[in-house]
Amino acid sequence: MKFSRDKKIIFLDPHTQQVLSDEKLDIILSPSLYWVKKITLPLNNVRDAKKLLVSLFEDVLPAGNYSYSIYKDKAASVKENHSSFFIFAYEDKVILDLFLSQGILLANVSSIHFAQSELVQIQGALKINETQSIYFKDGVLTLVPCCWIEESGSLNLVDVKLTTHTITLQQFGHIVDNKSLINIGAILLVFIFLTWAELFIVNQDISKIENASSEIFVKHKLKPTIFQNKALLKKYKRIHTRQTKLRQDVSATLKKKNIKHISYKNNIFKVSS
Amino acid sequence: MNRINPLYLGLLLIVILSLSIYKLNLAKNELKEVKLSYAKNLRLANELSSLRSVYKNTKKLENSLKRILMQNILKEAHIDVKFKKSGVKLSSLSINKKGLNFLMGKLLNNTYNIVALDIKKLSEQKASFKMEIQW
Repeated sequence: MKFSRDKKIIFLDPHTQQVLSDEKLDIILSPSLYWVKKITLPLNNVRDAKKLLVSLFEDVLPAGNYSYSIYKDKAASVKENHSSFFIFAYEDKVILDLFLSQGILLANVSSIHFAQSELVQIQGALKINETQSIYFKDGVLTLVPCCWIEESGSLNLVDVKLTTHTITLQQFGHIVDNKSLINIGAILLVFIFLTWAELFIVNQDISKIENASSEIFVKHKLKPTIFQNKALLKKYKRIHTRQTKLRQDVSATLKKKNIKHISYKNNIFKVSS
Repeated sequence: MNRINPLYLGLLLIVILSLSIYKLNLAKNELKEVKLSYAKNLRLANELSSLRSVYKNTKKLENSLKRILMQNILKEAHIDVKFKKSGVKLSSLSINKKGLNFLMGKLLNNTYNIVALDIKKLSEQKASFKMEIQW
């Protein structure tokens, strides 16, 4: 039995069509799929620098829905209390659309990397498609037309050792951003909490009323079933109606004169004069 | 790319919320029914206990009847009183007008369950009297 499939590293470029089978893929993004900057900041950790990403790209990026990534350039030598970072901006939708057009299933994607972090070992320029080459200029992997560099080698991914610098694509990031999703999720959670709280209160009320209902039976010394009590009530109502009627009849009779006989039996009232 | 899609989480929350709302509505309907049933039971209990206290309070009815029959005005009538478990039978072969008025006034103005009555005029001042009361 084989539980894990082999992984294949591919270089994803809009101008190169991939030939794929049902394999797990580690994808290296071509520089044409992201924007990169190498910057030095008076910060020591990535978490603090992350907060500045949007503003650092503010004036550079064309309009679009961008996600950002950052990692520390440990090789760079900088001043004390300063750090060098590689910062990235990319459009999730552009990459996802490219997956779709190249027949890459998201389920088969194991990891996504930037060429900047994965191809550090390349020497000179490398041709990545018919018209473009890549080469390192001042530590930044740069995309240039082929004609600029006469001697270009071809890209060999066999010896590439992948780093831990990966990104996760937001499938619907272009529709709803993460912050909005978190807000919506929080609102839904609040509603769920309120609903449960109300449900708890309603259940408490039900139990209280049911107890009170049982207490009525004890307090008024009623029969155990409603049926028996209803029959009893009917009987007393009948007695009450008959007694009221008897008293009304007697009252009306007493206004008459020369009464010789008054009788009442089996609910029949008789008077003879 | 094994991260759970936040939209699935959102969907899950919506499903949980929908189920909670559905369950809440069921509980609210049950509460309405329980309230209605409680109101019915309370009304039934009040009616039943008030009518029972009027017509089935044997001891109270018996004592009050004994007090009436002990009155001086009825001594001449020699009322025969037969107490049973289910009620009482009163009879007098000859009761005067005043005594009959007094007795009838007292009995009719109280809540006795009179099941039989027979008053026959014997003369202008006298009458025979029979009455059966149940409790």
